Amino acid sequence: MPVPGVPILEGLYPSTLDLYPFEAKEFNRIHQFYENLRQKRFTTTKCKKCGNVPFPPRVVCPQCNSEDLEWVDLPTQGKVLRFTEEVAGVPLGFESPLIHALIDLGVGRKLISRVINCKEGQLKEGDTVKLAVYDVPPMIIEKRGGVMEEAPRVFFAFEPVK
Amino acid sequence: MEDVAIVGAGQSVFARSCGESIRELCFEAYKEALEGLDITGNDIDASVVCSAPEYDKQRSPSGLISEYLELTPKPTFYVETVCSSSSTGLRVAWSLIKAGLHKTVAVIGFQKMSELSSRDAAERMGRGGDIIWESPFGITMPAGYAMYARAHMARYGTTEEHLAKVRVKNSHYGVANPKANYRKELSLEDILNSEMITSPLKKFDCCANADGSSCIILAGGDVAKSITKKPIWVVGLGAATDTMSMAGRKSLTGLQCAQEAAKQAYEMAGVKPQDIDVAEVHDCFTVSELLAYEDLGFAKPGEGAGLLEDKETYVEGKIPVNVDGGLLSKGHPIGATGGSQIRTIVRQLRGEATEAQVKDAEIGLVHNIGGVGQYGNVTILRR
Ligand SMILES: CC(C)(COP(=O)(O)OP(=O)(O)OC[C@H]1O[C@@H](n2cnc3c(N)ncnc32)[C@H](O)[C@@H]1OP(=O)(O)O)[C@@H](O)C(=O)NCCC(=O)NCCS
Ligand SMILES: [Zn+2]
Repeated sequence: MPVPGVPILEGLYPSTLDLYPFEAKEFNRIHQFYENLRQKRFTTTKCKKCGNVPFPPRVVCPQCNSEDLEWVDLPTQGKVLRFTEEVAGVPLGFESPLIHALIDLGVGRKLISRVINCKEGQLKEGDTVKLAVYDVPPMIIEKRGGVMEEAPRVFFAFEPVK
Repeated sequence: MEDVAIVGAGQSVFARSCGESIRELCFEAYKEALEGLDITGNDIDASVVCSAPEYDKQRSPSGLISEYLELTPKPTFYVETVCSSSSTGLRVAWSLIKAGLHKTVAVIGFQKMSELSSRDAAERMGRGGDIIWESPFGITMPAGYAMYARAHMARYGTTEEHLAKVRVKNSHYGVANPKANYRKELSLEDILNSEMITSPLKKFDCCANADGSSCIILAGGDVAKSITKKPIWVVGLGAATDTMSMAGRKSLTGLQCAQEAAKQAYEMAGVKPQDIDVAEVHDCFTVSELLAYEDLGFAKPGEGAGLLEDKETYVEGKIPVNVDGGLLSKGHPIGATGGSQIRTIVRQLRGEATEAQVKDAEIGLVHNIGGVGQYGNVTILRR
């Protein structure tokens, strides 16, 4: 489809406008996180040398600089500490309500995530939410000879526990 | 080492849509900053250009702006810390002068946001978060600050009415500011009844995107005294960061980057919060101004709303804040905002803030925050 006013974009994949991470192994060193996510596992890396378990996952331990890390599972349920329901002015590519929450996973770990499959007015602070994995548009990788390959992708959010 | 002073300060009118290109926009602020000075562009040794690049077609704007202001072949540098870019620019300019590299430096901040819809701008702003771990959720600046608001409400009993009172004050002063976009007095009801954006923040709790530019000219002490009768001295500089990811924050009831930057600035200036006569704080949202009262030590944690209830942050109060209408009235052209706040304090300390002059203001403070509490700059000025 021609792009109005931008003829050079026709048929091209504007990679820097893609909001989802480049998950394929060609582009990062934590692609295992996404492989695990596909299996509905929420994981991070643990340092085998000093025992440090940072999140997000790393390739070098930020505490002792060891590269000897292993993948470990994090809880897939947590409690909503704070949240906000964005009903107007949501970014292009998203629909309202867009619900964001600060979630306590226990084990001394908090994270920010979207809460999906949840109606406006339904969520309360203290509610339990669980990991939800969903497909996002594939990433297009340009191979030699201009061949375009599609790399499938998943991303995560949390959803209310019924 | 020589002291550093602000000799000139200017800004364009902040408007939803300026109808000109970024170079033309920048020239307006530059022209106002030079007014009344015994120098011309030839006397400016270097420029620091500040904006957030995601709203523009132009890349590397510093070279372009420097050419249009006819500052070539003087060096120019591009500085970015999103919404606090131009106060970071001031810090860089100060160091350049202190180091003896340059005598007179112009800090030019700008942003033209009208080429994008609010939702497109929100998408690009969201990329100023952690692009792998948080931006893909579609989190925006209003949503981030909304979570701070909820945390403050839960911990201290702050109410939506308290938040609205920030806009009541700022809209009151916005009326008198010819550079502001919104110049209408708003009542508590107007604000509480405005449409919900992201709970608990309503439309009038938010600043609006805008086009605008600012320009601050700094010079070393001797030069400063020779080109203006009213140099305003930069006596305190504080700068700090917090985690890019919201999940990494220690608490959501205050901005740690602002607390840290304030501590540094007070220490360097040798003053205390109660010594400040007038302040400009980063009220991108109503809650942000309340957080600023506490982070800057104008009120104890949790007691910011009380300061407002007692009207202590009005012109006649103990510590007048944002008496130019703030970002909430002026609009928030990202890279231009810090320079506009500095300009307001400069005018206050020179006794030239005719619209809302704080009597005998001698020491002023500027609090400028980048992102949802990622970058914090606190600057203390003295006449
Ligand atoms: C609050 C917000 C979501 C409203 O977006 P929106 O509803 O899409 O707003 P629009 O741009 O379509 O404007 C709609 C109308 O509301 C007005 N308006 C928008 N924001 C306003 C505000 N804060 N105060 C008063 N009026 C406002 C506009 O002027 C416009 O009026 P008009 O049609 O008479 O010109 C948007 O202004 C926003 O995202 N603000 C925050 C910007 C931000 O995050 N900045 C960085 C902070 S650190
Ligand atoms: Zn380790």
